[in-house]
Amino acid sequence: MTPIYTQTVGAGGAASITFNNIPQFYTDLKVVVSSRTTTSGAADALGMYINGVQTNRSNTSLYGTGSSAGSSRGTYRDVGTSDGNGSTSNTFSNIEIYIPNYTGSNYKQILSDSVRENNATAADLSILANLWSSTAAITSLSFDCASSGLNFVQYSTFSLYGLIRQGA
Amino acid sequence: MQWIAGQTLGSNNTTVQFTSIPQNFTHLQLRIFGKSQTNGAMSLFFNTVSSGTSYSYHYLQGDGATPTSAGFASQSYMSNLIGNTNATYWGVHIIDILDYANANKNKVVRDLNGWDGNGSGYVQLYSGQYMSLSAITQIDAYNGYTWTAGTRIDLYGITTSQLTGA
Repeated sequence: MTPIYTQTVGAGGAASITFNNIPQFYTDLKVVVSSRTTTSGAADALGMYINGVQTNRSNTSLYGTGSSAGSSRGTYRDVGTSDGNGSTSNTFSNIEIYIPNYTGSNYKQILSDSVRENNATAADLSILANLWSSTAAITSLSFDCASSGLNFVQYSTFSLYGLIRQGA
Repeated sequence: MQWIAGQTLGSNNTTVQFTSIPQNFTHLQLRIFGKSQTNGAMSLFFNTVSSGTSYSYHYLQGDGATPTSAGFASQSYMSNLIGNTNATYWGVHIIDILDYANANKNKVVRDLNGWDGNGSGYVQLYSGQYMSLSAITQIDAYNGYTWTAGTRIDLYGITTSQLTGA
């Protein structure tokens, strides 16, 4: 697994994080996210744009809240949940996003597992299967807060990795 | 991802420790292949802190019939990690600890774990946090129900890129 890009949010915060010009010679991609947003609530969904768009997306999720569990489907760009200002101070989410065959000509399946900790009974845990119904290769990924007007806070980090098959 | 250290137990033991963890990585990953002498979950704590109220943890789990979720605040350590809880079947944990040496963050753990016993078993997504800005220099994987000989626990370090791709 090779580190490709890393971005850390500075003192001014950031409305979005973008990885451009993703190399096309890896087999799979993995993104690791440690995020916190400016929402006054405890949490906000983490959104991911692919090649600058959020269309042709669907997902199936399994989730837990610390008191209940469930499963749902949606058509949003969500890939996990970030901590917000209403959660424990200095706590950031722990999210992994896996994208196999990102340059292939099939539709893109994306798997993410996401946890958002909080020193309370309530928190957010989820496993999401995401589909991007496009045959295009993935050349850029962007992340934002699903709710409008929010920023990622300082020290949020986003790391992109490439995985390559032996002999590929 | 670089292997840092690992232990394969030659005899039953309650604790596997990793000490003097190098501070030059960005993230850590623990991989566990193990089982317990009697049915019971493992616990995890950092820097020898296993008392007071420095931890919280939550889980989402399935037992083959019903998904459940629970949360625990102000705990002495992280417990109820169930991927090793059977005395017959081996289980697996993949535990990611992001920014383990970052002085601006509490240390948050994500664990995907489980075991199947051909008609029994659990699968769990687990989260926990060590509410401290201190770097993690020691990890204790504690099993009050005793790790079985042959249990293997490996610690890996993960780096990040200097390029931003912005």
